[in-house]
Amino acid sequence: MEVCRLPLSATQRGKLISAGYTSLSSLSSASASDLARDLKISDGEALEILNVASRSSRSDNAEGSHAIINGGVPGIGKTQLGIQLAVNVQIPPHCGGLGGRAIYIDTEGSFMVERALQVAEACIEDMSEYSRFLRKDLQTFQVGLQSKDILENIYYFRVCSYTEQIALVNYLDKFITEHRDVKIVIIDSITFHFRQDFDDLALRTRVLSGMALKLMKVAKNFSLAVVLLNQVTTKHTEGSFQLGLALGDSWSHSCTNRVILYWNGNERCAYIDKSPSLRSASAPYSVTSRGIRNSTSNYKRVKMM
Amino acid sequence: MAPLKSLEAQYGILDSNFQSFCASNGIFTVEDFLLHDLSVLAAFAEQEPTSERLKEGITQVLSIIDRQHQPWLNGLQLLEDAQQNKHVLSTGFKGIDKLLEGGLREGQLTELVGPSSSGKTQLCLRVAANVAIQHKGRVIFLDTGNSFSPRRIEHFVRQISGSVFNEKVMSNILCHSTFDIFSMFDVLHQLENSLKSQGHKGDCKARTLIVDSISSLITPILGGSGPQGHALMTSAGFLLKKLAHELNIAVLVTNHMVAGEGGNLKPALGESWKSIPHVRLLLSRDQGNKTCSISILKHPSLASGEVARFVIDD
Repeated sequence: MEVCRLPLSATQRGKLISAGYTSLSSLSSASASDLARDLKISDGEALEILNVASRSSRSDNAEGSHAIINGGVPGIGKTQLGIQLAVNVQIPPHCGGLGGRAIYIDTEGSFMVERALQVAEACIEDMSEYSRFLRKDLQTFQVGLQSKDILENIYYFRVCSYTEQIALVNYLDKFITEHRDVKIVIIDSITFHFRQDFDDLALRTRVLSGMALKLMKVAKNFSLAVVLLNQVTTKHTEGSFQLGLALGDSWSHSCTNRVILYWNGNERCAYIDKSPSLRSASAPYSVTSRGIRNSTSNYKRVKMM
Repeated sequence: MAPLKSLEAQYGILDSNFQSFCASNGIFTVEDFLLHDLSVLAAFAEQEPTSERLKEGITQVLSIIDRQHQPWLNGLQLLEDAQQNKHVLSTGFKGIDKLLEGGLREGQLTELVGPSSSGKTQLCLRVAANVAIQHKGRVIFLDTGNSFSPRRIEHFVRQISGSVFNEKVMSNILCHSTFDIFSMFDVLHQLENSLKSQGHKGDCKARTLIVDSISSLITPILGGSGPQGHALMTSAGFLLKKLAHELNIAVLVTNHMVAGEGGNLKPALGESWKSIPHVRLLLSRDQGNKTCSISILKHPSLASGEVARFVIDD
């Protein structure tokens, strides 16, 4: 993490950088008296700067910096989930959301603008109702967001080949530096262009694992979530068919969390397959005209595995 | 290596006359000296008027070079080093400790191989928490997949030490994110310098280095047209082993699996990597279960094939 991102005054930042403290790691090994001497400031001020630095490095960025991969059969609602996430990330902080923008990278052409508008409108209605419910005593609360604002805050990229996809992932760093309020990057679907016509499998593994590392770096540096939507495929093992993630085991290793979307009878369910801090559990959901909502079936609670 | 000029202050014999003689033979640094044919150099020195001083200069440079390599050790000294410096660190799981006859050994590079979601990261986090508490040591965690979870570490710390939250223990676990192999080399070299100059500081001594996972860093560069990927992989392995031996730390790395012959899984990173770690352990998780199995693929002093089971609690 860089010093220029710390919540310090511009003069303090300037002094730090001209004294050579450009990264958090250099600050972490400095003592208050060293810092005071190098920056020609008082001991108290130096201590304050060190506190700010240690607080930012210790803050749990884990929530914002995971790369999540959702795998599912066609028709399960991956794109719907992607659209819902792109809308939900924009929920303003006073309604409990992040108030950020979304980047939607579409490789298959499955993003439907009309659907996004529908989901956005439903989200705004829900937010007004929620805030009306909470602030019954105050006057009518304006959410302050319109559905066309929500659409404006989704940066949409259409990618038609794997070279475009690689170029775009390389460009993300620069793009997000210029658009700091992006809080989620959704790629739908990450493996589409790599499944057919890619002759050199070893090259494919190298390119994909390199891409995964770049996405991890973007997630960590800008504290945002990267959500990758992927397809499942059938594998032959000992004569029986088994469902596995497209692009195999090497790719499965490259993500931090994995959520599998599957059909349980007539119901859609999501299952946490891989996570460093959450236990394996599954939850039902449904795709409605208003977007992704909790399932209205009998199994209302999340099932722990 | 130093240019010859800089040695003049310390060794008066390497004066400007000597330096210009060397320069006339294309030697400007100590490294050039090593690459040059010394008998030819001595023959040239003979022809100079100041041949005696020049030959003394040559001998002096050779003795400086001699001092650069590690001293020879005999078997007894190695045994003493192993007994006094290379302790065995318990992993916190009785089953695994029993399998490994104590646990992870300082000075050794241990590799954890397993398919996706088999418990590698969880085991690394648990080992980190255990080393920080039980062995009062510092743990350096290099995270390549944003999977280091402070919440999980806190959970393990509470589990191991009862319900007492210890901020000192948490501050002894340092996590660093690296997303390419070159920055990993940077971090490791910085670590080497800072740990060597720090010396022993009582209970803040670094005891474990964990890289989760090293295969994510190596896979993008391995293969392809040039041998650079291979060279980087082997250098990384050697650097880790060197750090393990010189700093007396246990190094733990994780590796994933890829499809092998007949649809079976095999460890990634190929044949050349196989011989690099001292200890290779295979992890697998039972279907839909919390129980994991760990078995020895390779160990310098134990038989392979033994299996132990353990459970990572929620």
